[in-house]
Amino acid sequence: MEKSNRLKKILASKEFSLFILLVIVVAFYGVASPNGSFLKTRNIRSILDSMTIYTLFAVGGGLVIISGKIDLSPSYVGAVCGVLLAKLLDQGLPWYLVVPICLAVGAAFGLLNAVLINEFNIQSFIATLTTGTFIAQGLVYLIPAGVTYQIKDPVVIWYSTGKIFGFIPITMVISILIIVIFGIVLAKTKFGRSVYLIGGNANAARLAGLKPKKLSYIIFAYSGALGALAGMLYAGRLKSGSLVGTVSYGFPAVTAAILGGISLGGGTGNMLGCFLGLLIINSFNNGLMLMGLKPYWQTVASGVLLLIALTIDYFSTRERKIKLTGSI
Amino acid sequence: MVEQSLEFCNIVKSFPGVKALKGISFRAEGGRICALMGENGAGKSTLLKILSGDIQPDEGCLKINGEEHHFLSPHQSIKSSVSVIYQERQLVPSLSVMENIFLEDMPVGKLGFINMTELRSKTQEILDTFGLPIAPTDTVGWLSVAYQQMVEIMKAYRRDSNIIAFDEPTAPLTDKEITILFSLIKKLKEKGKVILYVSHRMAEIFQISDDIVVLKDGSLVKTLLTSQTNEGELVKAMVGRDIGDTYANLKRNDKIGDVLLEVNNLVTDYVDNVSFKLHKGEVLGFAGLIGAGRTEVMRAIFGADPIRSGEIRLEGKPVRFKSPSEAVASGIALCPEDRKEQGLVLKRSITDNVSIPVLSKVKKGLFLSRKTENDMAMNAVRKYSIKTPSADKQVMQLSGGNQQKVILGRWTSEKMATKILILDEPTKGIDVGTKAEVYQMVCDFAKQGIGVIFISSELTEVLNVCDNIIVMHNRHITGMLTREEATEELVLQLAMKD
Ligand SMILES: Nc1ncnc2c1ncn2[C@@H]1O[C@H](COP(=O)(O)OP(=O)(O)OP(=O)(O)O)[C@@H](O)[C@H]1O
Ligand SMILES: [Mg+2]
Repeated sequence: MEKSNRLKKILASKEFSLFILLVIVVAFYGVASPNGSFLKTRNIRSILDSMTIYTLFAVGGGLVIISGKIDLSPSYVGAVCGVLLAKLLDQGLPWYLVVPICLAVGAAFGLLNAVLINEFNIQSFIATLTTGTFIAQGLVYLIPAGVTYQIKDPVVIWYSTGKIFGFIPITMVISILIIVIFGIVLAKTKFGRSVYLIGGNANAARLAGLKPKKLSYIIFAYSGALGALAGMLYAGRLKSGSLVGTVSYGFPAVTAAILGGISLGGGTGNMLGCFLGLLIINSFNNGLMLMGLKPYWQTVASGVLLLIALTIDYFSTRERKIKLTGSI
Repeated sequence: MVEQSLEFCNIVKSFPGVKALKGISFRAEGGRICALMGENGAGKSTLLKILSGDIQPDEGCLKINGEEHHFLSPHQSIKSSVSVIYQERQLVPSLSVMENIFLEDMPVGKLGFINMTELRSKTQEILDTFGLPIAPTDTVGWLSVAYQQMVEIMKAYRRDSNIIAFDEPTAPLTDKEITILFSLIKKLKEKGKVILYVSHRMAEIFQISDDIVVLKDGSLVKTLLTSQTNEGELVKAMVGRDIGDTYANLKRNDKIGDVLLEVNNLVTDYVDNVSFKLHKGEVLGFAGLIGAGRTEVMRAIFGADPIRSGEIRLEGKPVRFKSPSEAVASGIALCPEDRKEQGLVLKRSITDNVSIPVLSKVKKGLFLSRKTENDMAMNAVRKYSIKTPSADKQVMQLSGGNQQKVILGRWTSEKMATKILILDEPTKGIDVGTKAEVYQMVCDFAKQGIGVIFISSELTEVLNVCDNIIVMHNRHITGMLTREEATEELVLQLAMKD
């Protein structure tokens, strides 16, 4: 009884339908890609590798969305921290100072967002768009002042490009650790539960003794710091501070989180779904590339994928509801 | 005039895990008021949602004036001259009163712009009919729960529908508004309209209805003529057993102790110069009309609203809570009146909602203990007989009264270590059987030496459950009565005294 109930629950979960979607995408490309190149170990590794940066943005972005707000700034903050990393290293500061400084700068951007949202009552969409596109983007140009700094610090290059046992990229390990840790924090700790509760109804949560304002500061600080981390890993990989940096990574990452069931209304979703969403989008895009589609068509195609996924989800939840009906 | 009628034919409706309606058939005539009664979760609201086209039945049909409808969309429902006033308010909080009242039918000028002057004057007319002291341009979100409810009623009144259903319209109202509402409902009845009326307040049913339809667990168990039945028979049909005289059977606390809470000259943006004392083991009632400031006093004590001046002493020590979290940490529990906005996180489960104030206490090391939480939730489910297949159910999917029970469960859990329990309209929407449980629970808390503040718009409740009663009017306290001296007339006099 207990067991069959649990099985039923798993089969009825959102994560399960995402998993099915992933299987479909993989199976399709496995057959359709030229010489089955999609399923080659090298390609799978390249999919996972390309996910690293997206994952960090999706975790931060997802966390904020669950809390009922949105954060559009981390990809810009990542770009700032990428050039900042390169510049500070170039000026001779050691990595063990530079890395924490950059993380702190990222968190500071998050706190700035939180101030605008909580103290000045600006909507998160506008507040984070402003800090991202004006302040952060502006700093990206101001910090390097026209010079491109090369990154030569061996430690930074090691963790950004090195591989454990010669084949597992360290960056991948970092991003997977982050998503697992945040997954556990969300599911199991008081902080995590509070994020869901304030996302569901901040007013009720406050009157029940939680502190939505304080939580909001922490959540945005995490999101900013994760953006900074992503930006540093990105710069480390390129071995230079790039002006464009991680800017283009923000939107697809949030899309993956939403595809993974973190709904924009707040209060629902989890990191497992988010991870599956990332896997689906990245596999999908990778497959399109193997099949020789131009990049802009890839963008269109991932839009279509999102629509399909949302539709399937709508119908499957409806059907499940009908099937489960009438047991009492 | 065409004789109006409404007939439900074998309506069946299921939700995941629950069969909410198991084949309901009955007929309501124009010019009569038909009361729908039943315990929480019996299926009353579901039936009305089918009438409004909000949800579709799995089987069965509706006959409106003899015309059969197997499928009714919200649009068709309005077209068929049906209005349903939901249990949970359906207003747009950011819009004004007039925009809400005329939401789907705004007066439009030649160029397609909304005619604001006409909108305002038409709304003012309706407001005058109801005799309410609010302006057409007031933002709905800023109004008190009771006035919001009145706006909801005016919205339906404005449509002048032939079939009007009220789902617990009086739950947040006090006597003054109820009198206005009832005189209007009677006028509608005289016009020959079909009126369905849901309420858990017994006295009302006998005051206003002609017929009574009793639902239990999704089935129709009895139809009664109001004039030929009595409260005992009705309750027995609803609950399935005799519950006796609720108030006489109450086992009260007779040992009132030292002063627990002392409030001196409290002033906030919403209340003036409020002073009172609450003792250990005392049940202190707060009565008054809407807008008297009862809720606002409690919110200030609880740290939810800022205090301008005054002094609050908890067990002799001066305190001033800057946030509800500080108040909770000091052993104060406030069960808020507006369950949807201020009480519940509707998207989350019963379990998640019950454990919020005590999350720190259900931790095992770093992590929350799901088992402890689940036990807490199951306790609440049993204590208040919450009707649900499991504690994992989203609160959104519970019936209104069962949602109310979840909040009660949260604030009365053993883990709370409560010193002062403030209940703001705790029995709102709760069925008779459970109401008796709630009253006994209040007395049991008092016996443990906890001070209970009991706010209710239902005067009988306050008069019978509380040891002392404070009456408020227009932001300040106008008097205090003991249970022995308090009568309905005295309380009402104080409630209107300036
Ligand atoms: N959207 C929904 N999803 C799942 N179950 C639901 C949903 N709406 C109602 N139910 C279930 O249907 C049953 C009947 O609910 P309904 O709201 O009609 O009760 P009610 O008689 O109005 O009770 P109350 O007096 O508490 O308002 C309940 O068991 C409830 O949990
Ligand atoms: Mg109901």
